[in-house]
Amino acid sequence: MPSPALGSQPPEEAAVTRRSTELLMTVFGLAIVAFAFAATALSLKGQQPSKIIEYIVAYCVIIAGAHLAVRKFAPYADPLLLPIATLLNGLGLVMIYRLNQAGRNGNQGAPGVNGSPVPISTLGSSATTAQIIYTVLGVAIFVLFLWLIKDIKALQPYTYILGLAGLVLIALPALLPSSISGVADTSAKIQISIGQFSIQPEEFGKLLLAASFASYLVEHGQQLSLLTDRWMFINLPRRKDLAPIFVVWALSMLLLIFESDIGTSAVFMGLFVAMLYIATGRRSWAILGFVMFLVGALAAATLVSHVGQRFTVWLHPFSTANLVNGTQPSYQTAQGLYGMANGGLLGRGLGGGQPFWTPLVQSDLIFTAFGEELGLAGVMALLLLYGLFVQRGLRTALLAKDEYSKLLASGLAFMFALQVFVIVGGVTRVIPLTGITTPFLSQGGSSLVASWLLVAAIARMSDSARRPAPRPIQDEGMTQVVSLR
Amino acid sequence: MNQLKRDLNRSIRRVSIAVLILFLILLVNVNYLQAVEAPSLANGQLNDRTEYDQTQVQRGDIVTQDGVTIAGTKQVNGSLFKYQRTYSNGPAYAPVTGYDTIFTASQAPNYATGVEKAENSLLSGTGDQLAFRNFIDMITDKPQKGASVQVTINSKAQLAAYQGLQSTLAGKTINGVQQVGGVVALNPSTGAILAMASYPSYNPNALTVENTGTAGDLVTKLSGENPSPLINNATQTTLPPGSSFKIVTSSAWYGSSAANNPQTSVYSPQPLKLQNGNLLNNDNDEQCGNGSGHTPVITAFAQSCNTPFANIGALLGGPTINATAEKYGFNKALDIPGVTTAASSFVAEADPSLTALDAIGQHDTTETPLQEAMVAATVANNGVLMKPYLIDQVTASDLSVVEQTQPQELGQPISATVAGYEKQMMIAVVQDSDGTGFQFNQSALNGLEIAGKTGTAQNGQSAQPDAVFTAFAPADNPKIAVGVMIEGGGYGAAAAEPIAVAVIKAYLDATGQG
Repeated sequence: MPSPALGSQPPEEAAVTRRSTELLMTVFGLAIVAFAFAATALSLKGQQPSKIIEYIVAYCVIIAGAHLAVRKFAPYADPLLLPIATLLNGLGLVMIYRLNQAGRNGNQGAPGVNGSPVPISTLGSSATTAQIIYTVLGVAIFVLFLWLIKDIKALQPYTYILGLAGLVLIALPALLPSSISGVADTSAKIQISIGQFSIQPEEFGKLLLAASFASYLVEHGQQLSLLTDRWMFINLPRRKDLAPIFVVWALSMLLLIFESDIGTSAVFMGLFVAMLYIATGRRSWAILGFVMFLVGALAAATLVSHVGQRFTVWLHPFSTANLVNGTQPSYQTAQGLYGMANGGLLGRGLGGGQPFWTPLVQSDLIFTAFGEELGLAGVMALLLLYGLFVQRGLRTALLAKDEYSKLLASGLAFMFALQVFVIVGGVTRVIPLTGITTPFLSQGGSSLVASWLLVAAIARMSDSARRPAPRPIQDEGMTQVVSLR
Repeated sequence: MNQLKRDLNRSIRRVSIAVLILFLILLVNVNYLQAVEAPSLANGQLNDRTEYDQTQVQRGDIVTQDGVTIAGTKQVNGSLFKYQRTYSNGPAYAPVTGYDTIFTASQAPNYATGVEKAENSLLSGTGDQLAFRNFIDMITDKPQKGASVQVTINSKAQLAAYQGLQSTLAGKTINGVQQVGGVVALNPSTGAILAMASYPSYNPNALTVENTGTAGDLVTKLSGENPSPLINNATQTTLPPGSSFKIVTSSAWYGSSAANNPQTSVYSPQPLKLQNGNLLNNDNDEQCGNGSGHTPVITAFAQSCNTPFANIGALLGGPTINATAEKYGFNKALDIPGVTTAASSFVAEADPSLTALDAIGQHDTTETPLQEAMVAATVANNGVLMKPYLIDQVTASDLSVVEQTQPQELGQPISATVAGYEKQMMIAVVQDSDGTGFQFNQSALNGLEIAGKTGTAQNGQSAQPDAVFTAFAPADNPKIAVGVMIEGGGYGAAAAEPIAVAVIKAYLDATGQG
């Protein structure tokens, strides 16, 4: 396949589907996952290493299905989306499998410092299987989306329905009693539990809101880009246009206060502000939104104790007062940082570290487990994978032929980037740690399925963007266009 | 429409740059965290990772000079930890090995003591000196093992010392408080510590348990006890030396004039009237020598008369005796790897009446058993004081030597001539029929010639004085110097000397030098 020079886009380029590239890269990703599984099993001696064959085969079959679906339903989709998702999801599976066991030689449990036994994060033996099932669900949603939604613009008319649905999904846990929506050992109310089964509806709500914002801004973008008074160095938007941003801001603040979910609140607000900026091209919106969120968050930090606590932990994660015992919130942050430090440059190797000291390492802090076992090298690779994925999303936005796709693709890509920043920045102490999932890596179904849905949406849009326009009929055999004088 | 589309692309590009900056922040930060900040985080307060790693590696043994493993490891099953520390004859060797809990240095300053603490990095296999060997082990897939430490202790001498203390002190109390005692034996020509026993002691095995709560509570309990068994009475507890200090006083006196020798007659009244008007008596108010009021110094020393040496002390003055005492090691805690030491104390008083008391090892003069042994070792080694040391060598798991201690001279407190005079006097104490050390142990000596000095010191707490004995043997070719101190033990010759003799005999028998 001839590769066109960078930047130039001759008409022939669009005709290249790049599905073979995707296959090659996907196989490469699967190979890395298989090796990672093997390395883990060998390191954790004696822990059912035979089972990893089942896991590897199952995962290859799932991903093969996804690849075939892309070939059939979105042949022009960006070839890097599926391989990156494959590798990230696969590494997540490996880490969940690894966290099934505390340490080498089947050791379970440990005494705590100062006598109080510290809960060690170990997962039930079925956790890996459960995560595989979530992966099946995620890929099934991915395939269904590509199959059912042939053009993303089909969603455009439903501005307010999608928006309302998104809001309901996000607000639902706050309205339910905390026996149903509370997350054990935290003050967060972000899930709906029915028996053993629990979902986090906000993961899907965010996607619906992105779709809703996109169509809203296609309609009102022009109007919102009108500016009036110049104040200090920025041109302020017209006062009557401020209503939408205030509504979104108020919602994100409610989210912050009633669900204790700073992370989602930040992602939610960031998504809207970024899309507003893209739609209008006015910096003042971005500055306004950023300042509003900052003021709101700082106010919440002083007024609401559990929000303020996050800031205290962020500033003083190792102070003795915060580290009194294993239930202190900074214990988690501190152990995560210790884990990253223990990994050093090259890591302890899969199965060789001690991620089990960190509470909730399998969900919010899984990135620190990677930091400990794969080291700085592995963590940089993960961040570059995330970065590359976001770049493919933004590139899809640039290539997209209609405004709606541009806004939606860039919005989703930015939201994904922001989510990575909020959680990775949180566990590495760039910003206060807030409990949101690490896309593709964290244990749990909702986040994984939502991540695959996001990949599907971007794949659909990039397929549309890269699909060659139907050629004008120029076949001499059937019809001849004759110019008449 | 076209205009808007171009605008969208422009802002999408700007958002891309913002995203790039976000990722750059994350990348720079993880670099800082894992490359720059990592070493300091590794010592974090609640960071159990190092401790856990240590229990996955077999800790090196601690072995005595004669090849007895006093600290080893055993494999444990069904626990997070792979190896547990074990001590054989724990209480006897506790002052040497110390203990090693599963705490790490950063978690608790008292995570370990003794040799366990001093050589922790090599025993645990994490020391820089072992990095290359560990790397080779990793490549060749050999299980990593810590380096083993050989201490200078002789197991026979050590057990004799501990058993002696135990049988003398078990259950003995003053005002309800357990009496303490310590024994140190040195090789006079090198300074190697051959025995270092303390009573009461503890069993370090109780502290190696996996549960840090139990271990922590036990450390707190032991350190709160009175007297704490964690204190090494051989090197950390000071008691009044009594008459054994007359070695130091006479050393100063010999040094003050070349004319002085063991036959020089000194003023020996009974009692001696001090400058402040108080009267000082000999033991049981006995006359010194023939009762003439003048006695050869060797006789006064052998009979341990108080008045001649108190008089000498008052005449020489506090500063002169202090100078000699400090050359012997007083007033300064020694820095011996693996051993916690306390300074023995001599105060240079301006008042001659107080100096007179100081000179016979009373008033505020105090010594550790280690200092007692150092004084005897100096005499035995012709006046040269060798620095005591406990850790002989450290060998990596591949048997290559990582560290080796070289004997080191601390100084020469007395000339060889004075050392000869002191030796004559110390032989007289044990060998002469009227020497204080003669009557109790002549039968036990069985031809072995010991040189020594008794000490019986009032401690102001009980009717029973503290018993002290410092000695070396064989007198003509010294191989071992011993210091024994027993709180409230009674007469030095009765309580301390038998232990010293037992240690000497055990050592000489074991090394075939008896």
